[in-house]
Amino acid sequence: MFDALFQSGWGAYAMMLFMLIPFLCIFFYVVIRKSIIDPSPSTADKKSFKKFEYLWMGLVVFVFVTVNVASIQFMPTVITANAAASDENIFDVDVSAVSWSYDISEQTLEVGRPIRFSAKSEDTMHSFAVYHPDGRMLFTMMLMPKMDGPTSLIYTFKDPGTYTVRCLEYCGLSHHDMRDELTLVASN
Amino acid sequence: MLAATKILRGTPLFGRMFGIDQNDGLEEINSWPNLMIVTSFVWLAVAGLIGLSMPLIQRFELDSDLYYLALTAHGAALAFPFGFQLMVGVGLHRNGGCSGKAVTGTLPALIYIFMNVGSALLTVAILMGFSVSLVVMYPLPVVGVETGQWSYSSLVLGFTGIGLVLIMMILLYPIQVLKMSFFGKERDDLTLNKRTLDDPGMLGMVVAALVLLVFGMPLLIVASYVLVSLYGIIPFEAITFFLEPVIFQFAFFVFAHNLMEAMAIMVISAVYGTLPLYLADGTRELYSKKLANLAIWILLITSFSSFLHHFITLFPNMPSALAYHGHIMSWGTGIGSALSIFTILATIWKHGLRMNPGVLTVLMGFALYVLDGSSAIVTSNVAWSFQLHGTMWQSGHTMTVLISMSMLWMGVLYHHYPVMTGRKLDDTLGYWWVGLFTVGAAGAALVMLAGGAAGMPRRHADWAQDGWMIYGDWTLFFGFVMAAGLFVYALNLFKSRWIDDTAFSPSAQPGPAE
Repeated sequence: MFDALFQSGWGAYAMMLFMLIPFLCIFFYVVIRKSIIDPSPSTADKKSFKKFEYLWMGLVVFVFVTVNVASIQFMPTVITANAAASDENIFDVDVSAVSWSYDISEQTLEVGRPIRFSAKSEDTMHSFAVYHPDGRMLFTMMLMPKMDGPTSLIYTFKDPGTYTVRCLEYCGLSHHDMRDELTLVASN
Repeated sequence: MLAATKILRGTPLFGRMFGIDQNDGLEEINSWPNLMIVTSFVWLAVAGLIGLSMPLIQRFELDSDLYYLALTAHGAALAFPFGFQLMVGVGLHRNGGCSGKAVTGTLPALIYIFMNVGSALLTVAILMGFSVSLVVMYPLPVVGVETGQWSYSSLVLGFTGIGLVLIMMILLYPIQVLKMSFFGKERDDLTLNKRTLDDPGMLGMVVAALVLLVFGMPLLIVASYVLVSLYGIIPFEAITFFLEPVIFQFAFFVFAHNLMEAMAIMVISAVYGTLPLYLADGTRELYSKKLANLAIWILLITSFSSFLHHFITLFPNMPSALAYHGHIMSWGTGIGSALSIFTILATIWKHGLRMNPGVLTVLMGFALYVLDGSSAIVTSNVAWSFQLHGTMWQSGHTMTVLISMSMLWMGVLYHHYPVMTGRKLDDTLGYWWVGLFTVGAAGAALVMLAGGAAGMPRRHADWAQDGWMIYGDWTLFFGFVMAAGLFVYALNLFKSRWIDDTAFSPSAQPGPAE
């Protein structure tokens, strides 16, 4: 269940709505009730307000902590650190980005094998974003020129197919044409 | 008569909406603010039309260069000469009325000139081809010259314009706010509603000014060195440190992020100042001043280092510890916002609400602000950031934060309008404006965020590439709804009537200002 939530943009959208919809319900209820239905001052005492104040803040803190703690195992930084520390057979792919193309050291890769993408920019800001064949964006890496080392991430592909690589940092007048492909084949 | 009043008199159409009533003795707190507001609306009209053109350029598959030109012009006009200038105009009027100090002298004039001349120069540079997007994307401006995408002269002109705007936002405006808040003689004839710094409605204004001054200084220094080198006064070799992309980018986002946070703090402060005036029982008190001030302080403390979330995907060039810090601080701003939500709703529940289009605009703007906040903290989570950064989600977030804050200010403006002009607005048109604009802004935000969730890239001239045109079409539809709302707002200003003479219509006969 958490995979769908934390490994997709639509999971993020669902989380945003999860926080937004209850707020809007309460917000409109309070505004309509106290401006149209019954604008008279509340008879509730100070203690009641305090009780709601603590309840509200407790709920907010609980949701915030739960969501973020649950997301830790899905953070690419954590996944990369764990993969690098393990004995897994990591395959290295070097990427060089220049306006408006990529130079990718190996474009045919194996499903199920951790791939370490190490990417650099040769001129201006670029990114290296990988899209699943079904159109989902899997991850993006920001590439800033003149850094000491490459931007790097370890990712393990699950499905074979042709993946699209795109630049998501605006890099000039042909930015939209900066594309390439990766081919994922079943493991031997 | 003040220079700003004279300019307003000579400005057709827009000038009539914000003419100065010279009989009420408030010209000194109204003149420059009114001129700034009028000019911000001119920029809004320009930015709005360009914004609507962007999906149309994509829909009719026009030249991609045109799209990037529109993208840069739209963002630049919307964020600075509209959004920021509107805030400065309404904010300085509020500050003058709360502290009893005049908004006159050289400084307000310089604020106005630097903002508008700077924005105009940037616009000319963009028309010359300087398509670097709202956030400049350094070192793209220089690389663009090297690769023949735009000329060196457009780069120099564009950076000169940006420099003037930055001086206004980082130095001139904060100095003006601090001057009015702590120095100068207080005048009873200008005091409309006395407030001190323990009032949340005043505290946020001063905090926001300090944030701009402190967190903008690194960018002002870096940008000054770059500009001086572009003019050939210092050789590029002498400033290599400032030309490093990482230095410029971090200095830029420390400022840009905190600029948005400062605007948010200031606008929340304005909500705290305005809402109590519409309470049904007439108490004019927030549920808790202490809680309201705590929300502002939490927003301040958590927001200044949360800018690190802009660089989460730079890993490991930006260490993951800093990414986690940015992540946690961003969600911390959510705690400040939760306190604001409680304060506002508890205030309404406790005292009841006297509904009016002005306060409804403020409340709808606040609801949009919460929508935007939800999208912002989600994308600041390290796990989601890798799937959303660089997508339309970010554009949806940027647009919504600007729209929501502008809406809040336009609500505050609705409240202040009679005092600023001596005229009153039509409430029926006011409710139409709120309804249309809220639906348009919320719809556009949700569609753009959905585009981001689907992987639609931002600042990208080919939405047809992977079936994203549908999000563009719906954004255009809601853009038109927003435009209809703004048209009604403008119509209401144009049709405003003198308070003492309900039969008066500025379109039918000359007013006292003429």
